[in-house]
Amino acid sequence: MASPINKKTLEHLAQLARIELDPREEERLLHDLQKILDYFGELQALDTAGVVPLTGGTLLRNVFRDDDERRNTNRGAGTDAFPESRGRLLKVPPVFE
Amino acid sequence: MNAPAPMTSLHELTIKTFHEGLLAKKFSALEITQAFFRRIREQDRTIGAYLALHEEQAAMDAERVDVALAKDEPLGMLAGAPLAIKDLLLMKGERTTAGSKILEHYTASYDAGVIARLKAEQAIFLGKTNLDEFAMGSSTENSAFQITRNPHDPERVPGGSSGGSAAAVAAHLALGALGTDTGGSIREPAAFCGVVGLKPTYGAVSRSGLIALASSLDQIGPFAATVEDAAILFRAIAGKDPLDATSADPPDGGYGDELVHPDFERVRKLVVGVPEEYFGAGVEEDVLRSVEQARKTIESLKISFKKVSLPHTKYAVAAYYIILPAEVSANLARFDGIRYSRIPDLGPHVKNLRDIYVRSRGKGFGAEAKRRIILGTFVLSSGYYDAYYAKAQQVRALIRNDFVEAFKEVDVIFAPVTPTPAFKIGEKTADPLAMYLSDIFTIPANLAGVPAVAIPAPTPEGALPVGFQLIGKPFREADILGIGQYYERIVRGS
Repeated sequence: MASPINKKTLEHLAQLARIELDPREEERLLHDLQKILDYFGELQALDTAGVVPLTGGTLLRNVFRDDDERRNTNRGAGTDAFPESRGRLLKVPPVFE
Repeated sequence: MNAPAPMTSLHELTIKTFHEGLLAKKFSALEITQAFFRRIREQDRTIGAYLALHEEQAAMDAERVDVALAKDEPLGMLAGAPLAIKDLLLMKGERTTAGSKILEHYTASYDAGVIARLKAEQAIFLGKTNLDEFAMGSSTENSAFQITRNPHDPERVPGGSSGGSAAAVAAHLALGALGTDTGGSIREPAAFCGVVGLKPTYGAVSRSGLIALASSLDQIGPFAATVEDAAILFRAIAGKDPLDATSADPPDGGYGDELVHPDFERVRKLVVGVPEEYFGAGVEEDVLRSVEQARKTIESLKISFKKVSLPHTKYAVAAYYIILPAEVSANLARFDGIRYSRIPDLGPHVKNLRDIYVRSRGKGFGAEAKRRIILGTFVLSSGYYDAYYAKAQQVRALIRNDFVEAFKEVDVIFAPVTPTPAFKIGEKTADPLAMYLSDIFTIPANLAGVPAVAIPAPTPEGALPVGFQLIGKPFREADILGIGQYYERIVRGS
């Protein structure tokens, strides 16, 4: 059976994932991914008809909390860790051509 | 009671005996902290367990404990205890790299939930330990910064991904450590390095401030020299945290004193299951022999054993390496080269936002991270989602159900941690699939969300360490740690 991944699909996936690959990396990755996907094939032999998928690590159900003020939420931690800032302004690299 | 340990040797010290010695004023917290830093300077050049040392802060914190002791203030079990922290956990004001170039210059702006709890306990943090990049690996060879060597044989890997933490405890470069376990990343290195490692129940420990690998699988847990120490560390970090919505207290309230002080009469009535699927082809003879010896010792405590079956075990690795990369591709999307940390030189032809993204991620991520991000992107892509991702989630349900069924018959499951002892550095780096298969006995507990502890099994003089594993019911860490402590009393003669 032909592998579902070839050079063209790999390049497309790398674009989607926003990762630049050099030709050597691409070749190695293609080889590895084909081998790994081949291994995944053994799952197809298992009949899972009607099995309800386990979609997370816990069976806890989502609930809504009361819409009130919460303290200790690490507020501001995201901007505090920003690589470059001036006062309350965050500095980003130039992104327009 | 424990016999008093000779207090001059860090080799003999456990968290428990450190605490007793501290209260008896046999040494100060500062003296022990400084002794650890001396030993790290001597030994860690060859081992490579640490990525960063927090010497100044540690000395200040240790002095504070000594002052509290001088004033007769009450001190908890972890006060002054020098610990090592996997560099995947945020500590406010400290660099946190996840072993990756893409976070090389990132400084955390808040404490992880577990760090906040250990700070409240007045524990001492010696530094941050090495890991496979973003915890992706089983050997700590995927770190962007250095490899870590196994203290028992420098030609071999310490296991991974929490290899730095395991090696630090094994080489007496810390009294205990924290790691994370997504598919075995605490238990496998614990087994390879001959220390105790606990992966708690999914949700038992807050993941707030843990750089996420696969959110439905990740758990933070302790490494220690003894099961008792691991229990002490686990008790300190466990419990619901409002900053992690998946964290939870045990259904019957909270973790009680039984974690650290098990009732051995109760422990003896537990029934232990032996799953045939974990003892088949591919497990090395030496591993089988050591694990069987450990089993016999436990049996000699009048704990009864019973055969069980976990029939879907052989599908676990494939299901895991679909689910994990899928979550990885989403979790690692946030590393864009603009937030958190930047790559200093992106090279020519970077003209727009897209160029910054692709170049930063191309330069910032190592080979294994790229492999998993792209694999995850593939299994989630339209046309393949059902065949791979949805299928893997169904298989995950079947694997979880295997445990549910087995736990109707038994209280605890007994198994090897890994099919082989520590392998050679470089042995599996060229073959990712071979590396993935070394997790075959640890992955199922993550997929099912159940707790499991790795404990050193007896080995012949000079042989590499081997670990056995006790897997428990959800939120019943007390059962596996109870049997572990009972076992430890016999083999350590304490």
